[in-house]
Amino acid sequence: MLARVANNLFWMGRYIERSEHVARYLNVNYFSSLDAPNELSQSRQFVLRSMLFMASDPVTDPNIELDEGQVLFDIALNKEKPDSIINYLQYARENANSARDLISTELYESLNKFYHYTLNYSPEKFMKSGLYEFTVHVAESTSILRGKIRGTLLHDDVYSIIMLGINIERATQIIRIINAKYNDANLAGGSYGDHLKNSYEWTTLLKCAESYDMMRRYYKKAPRSLITLEFLILNPNCPRSIMNSLNQVSRHISDLSKSKTPDKNSAEFLVGKVRAEYEFKLIEEIEEDLQGFIEKILNTLNDIAKKIEIEYFL
Amino acid sequence: MKLNTNQPSFSSYKRDNHLFDEIFTKNDEVKEVYKTLLNLYSEHSIQDYARLNEKAKASFFNQGITFQVYGEHETKEKIFPFDLFPRIIDHKEWSHIEKGVLQRSKALNHFLWDIYHDKKILKQGIVPLDLINSSANYLDQMQGLNPPGGIYNHISGTDLIKHSDGNYYVLEDNIRCPSGVSYVICNRTALKRALFGVFNHYQTHTVTDYAENLLEIMESVKPQGVDNPTCVVITPGIYNSAYYEHSYLAKAMGVELVEGRDLFVENDFVYMRTINGPQKVDVIYRRIDDIFMDPLEFRPDSTLGVPGLLAAYKLGNVCLVNAPGTGVADDKAIYTYMPQIIKYYLGEEPILNNVHTYHCNRPDELKYVLENIDKLVVKPVDEAGGYGISIGNKLTKAEIEKVKAVIKENPRKYIAQPIMSLSVHATYIEDSQSFEPRHVDLRTFCLLGKDKSFVLKGGLTRVALKKGNLIVNSSQGGGSKDTWVLKK
Repeated sequence: MLARVANNLFWMGRYIERSEHVARYLNVNYFSSLDAPNELSQSRQFVLRSMLFMASDPVTDPNIELDEGQVLFDIALNKEKPDSIINYLQYARENANSARDLISTELYESLNKFYHYTLNYSPEKFMKSGLYEFTVHVAESTSILRGKIRGTLLHDDVYSIIMLGINIERATQIIRIINAKYNDANLAGGSYGDHLKNSYEWTTLLKCAESYDMMRRYYKKAPRSLITLEFLILNPNCPRSIMNSLNQVSRHISDLSKSKTPDKNSAEFLVGKVRAEYEFKLIEEIEEDLQGFIEKILNTLNDIAKKIEIEYFL
Repeated sequence: MKLNTNQPSFSSYKRDNHLFDEIFTKNDEVKEVYKTLLNLYSEHSIQDYARLNEKAKASFFNQGITFQVYGEHETKEKIFPFDLFPRIIDHKEWSHIEKGVLQRSKALNHFLWDIYHDKKILKQGIVPLDLINSSANYLDQMQGLNPPGGIYNHISGTDLIKHSDGNYYVLEDNIRCPSGVSYVICNRTALKRALFGVFNHYQTHTVTDYAENLLEIMESVKPQGVDNPTCVVITPGIYNSAYYEHSYLAKAMGVELVEGRDLFVENDFVYMRTINGPQKVDVIYRRIDDIFMDPLEFRPDSTLGVPGLLAAYKLGNVCLVNAPGTGVADDKAIYTYMPQIIKYYLGEEPILNNVHTYHCNRPDELKYVLENIDKLVVKPVDEAGGYGISIGNKLTKAEIEKVKAVIKENPRKYIAQPIMSLSVHATYIEDSQSFEPRHVDLRTFCLLGKDKSFVLKGGLTRVALKKGNLIVNSSQGGGSKDTWVLKK
């Protein structure tokens, strides 16, 4: 496979995954805030700030009054904003275009239809009544795309490259969501007793990661900070967890790599190293300095992506 | 069965006696091969067609079989219009066409070899020397060079029309980078999906075998000493109007679709950059023009090409399909010598007719052209895509004077031909929601390799959707039809 095209497919995977997380973040936060248990969590300004914190640049100045329609439009449909869902889909489609000879017609057609749906979605409708419909459509379409990737492509280098993009992006977005909700929880506090640990925001966090139901099943408890973080960071069976994403990255990178013992500077080695570290990590250690952990893991994911680029895309 | 204008789908069908109608005879009888088709079509209501037409359009759009239209504010994606009424060519008629286009491709290949080697045909005065000398498309770099397998025009697209006398005439041979074959295959797929119940009443040759034959042709001209050649398709990129076709061909052949920046030349061998390092490339189907191919030899500002590619080609380390410099032979002036070229190299009579041509560089013919401009089509010899063509009977007096002045200024640049009347075919027209006669032509696709040749049994029937329009090019608002070649 051509190095340039591999790079494009890697980013196609990343943009598809990214658009899903952003869409779900909008959806869950907006609708759960409507009947949130405390005043701050219900506040429009609070939710809009949280959305911007996760999806683009945080607004820290407390004196700025955000316009709800504008914030939603910017994140979802504004073509002028590089980090809007519509632009992610445009980049994904352009990347797919350059690899049309390698991917299946079915995958291309699904992505193309999805892009045109977004392109033709009326901003007026979106801001007035379409938020739910639009974000659900984005989340569903990305699931379809992942299904086509898994179900119609040859499971070879092309597949591995796309899956690398998807999983690195997934880990990155989950961390960003944890970061945003941790920030919200710090600001909003809980509804009773120990504020932070019992905050309503942990439920929202799990829903943002589509992991609420399975977390309840696994722990049989209401979400609290510790078990929520453990589930989303360290549980290898949670499909959205950092650990699971790292396992996927590791699997696909060793499929790509031709060497039996990876070079110490390679992406493969780094992924193995991080996996080994988290496999025997206690969530209590992470919780002691969650902010530090978030920064560290984001840097590591970035390093892995950079190494992949150097090894395969140049 | 007669043309029945009471039938709603044909209520706007006005047969013109001056034109050759592909479907109806002069007595308004339905021609034999179309009888079954028309019977089946009459079972559908016009609303069915409107619906099927929308469906077919959506299918093309969703598959991204589109081209970009650049507007003032935003670019729009458009599909190439596709018509639901197929063209049928019976076995006998087809075998005549097939032999004819193959004969032309072979003759052109001989001609190219000759003019880049001994130039016998020029020395013997059969084709005038100054036609070649004055041609911008003659490449000195190709002089004396032996392309692998001895093939120049691996892929030829010959455009044919049916005149009012019922005979096929060749309008031109395209042997640079003829495009359109992917639409042949898309049209077939779309028609089968929309009207499968009609399709299976005919024994029609497949068109999906084009890609495998193209790959065999490419492999047949591999450089010496290579066992399993690596073939690629090179494209100018995703913004090129024919990008869909490039990606289709690469996908259907299972080869890489590369851009210039993916390739590099080292020690006169060509490599592509893959995720596992450099991989040698042996045969390149290039969909970029000669002058953009290698900035060291041609346009130095070209970013589409590969520096050093021509040097590698000259040493026989890589094969280019089609060879550089073929443009000299699909010049509209060379076209007029095709009967002589065929006779000279093959010792055969031309199977397909040439349209009679007046050369404006010959004084007596120039005089005739200037006096009869209203009866002639005037074409520049070196333009593609239907640009610069003027059709005599459509011009005003002032326009005629303008064309005359332009010709007088540079007679070598123009040829003129009698106005050929392209045959008409029933075509679904959205505005009137019925079938109307529209002018059509036919592009055929012929492949030449080392000891191997192939003519695609089918072709691209292009249709001028504007009433009365004779220019069928997609850049001028043309659409296309599925074309069925029937089995014996």
